Amino acid sequence: MNELLNKELETIFKDISVSDSGDKQVAVIAKHEQVHAVLRFLKDKGFDHLALLSAVDWIKDKEFELVYILTRYMQGDEEYTDQESLHLIVKTRISRQSPQLETVTGIFPNAEPYEREIHELFGISFEGHPRLTPLFLEREYKIPPFRKDFDTRKYVEEIFGNIPSVENNK
Amino acid sequence: MDRNQIRKWLKAPAKMANKYSLHAIYFCTGCGIIEVPPVITSRWDAERFGIIPVATPRQANLFLITGYVSVKTLRAIIRTYEQMPEPKYTVGFGSCPINGGMYWDSYNTIKHLDKYIPIDGWIAGCMPRPEAIFIAVTHLWTLIDKDMANSYIRYRENYEFYRRNQELALGRLEWPPLYPIYSNSEEIKYE
Repeated sequence: MNELLNKELETIFKDISVSDSGDKQVAVIAKHEQVHAVLRFLKDKGFDHLALLSAVDWIKDKEFELVYILTRYMQGDEEYTDQESLHLIVKTRISRQSPQLETVTGIFPNAEPYEREIHELFGISFEGHPRLTPLFLEREYKIPPFRKDFDTRKYVEEIFGNIPSVENNK
Repeated sequence: MDRNQIRKWLKAPAKMANKYSLHAIYFCTGCGIIEVPPVITSRWDAERFGIIPVATPRQANLFLITGYVSVKTLRAIIRTYEQMPEPKYTVGFGSCPINGGMYWDSYNTIKHLDKYIPIDGWIAGCMPRPEAIFIAVTHLWTLIDKDMANSYIRYRENYEFYRRNQELALGRLEWPPLYPIYSNSEEIKYE
């Protein structure tokens, strides 16, 4: 099954690399123009559960990497079959200068909070997202705090270190 | 009842009753709350010491802050603390409320909780054992006996400074001040 899927993926999409690590995880590295087509194709193949969407900051390559992890829902009551326990990891990279990507909420509706989180913590904007409003953070940050160039210690000293203790204030 | 304490009971009955019926609101932040279920249930049975958990802050007079405090949690902690009736006692549990603990360089964790609300005592450790809660409580009893557990009085007296620190950390607060503020400083302005 895996090899069939790999071959099918490689024939349909050209600039794609599929690598099977052997422990029921298949990594698919796609370009950001075609990642939506890949995800839609995989959803039609039965990978209908977006388990995770996360981002990685590759600051030396000046790129962000988005990671989509797809699985199947369990069909029977008993145990996971080999097909159901297969994880597909779709990776794509976008430039750090203009971090933009089209939203995948049209394909997987549960991507909405993931994309809000990534928008807030990495500053990647998703076009066509229904509401890119703040999710977790209370404060305003000049640099989104999960980027590698965000200096947490300096920020902590500036913000929390400057709050005086009440005894000194009196 | 201990015979030696009869004089104390006759002298200040309200204080003694208050001391032996600490109704605790456990603020479930962070990992410290893991230690609290064995404390209140039969393994360590906190009711031997007169401590019972209550549902709402308006019934409580002991505030136990267990674990790290994020910026969003601080808002809830202040609101909870201000709703509690006096006399009220606060105890910081674990090293995170003291100085941030292992999250001392996190962008979103409050480092020193005593800058925002007054604290009667700390239980250091990461994590403290459940016995440490009882050591803290017996210590709190001696403080109450000597009228040294006066955090709520300090809060009333220095409310201006506490409120200013709260605004520095949280930005504008959406609730009115608990006590009147007689200050002309430019930083704090209320409608």
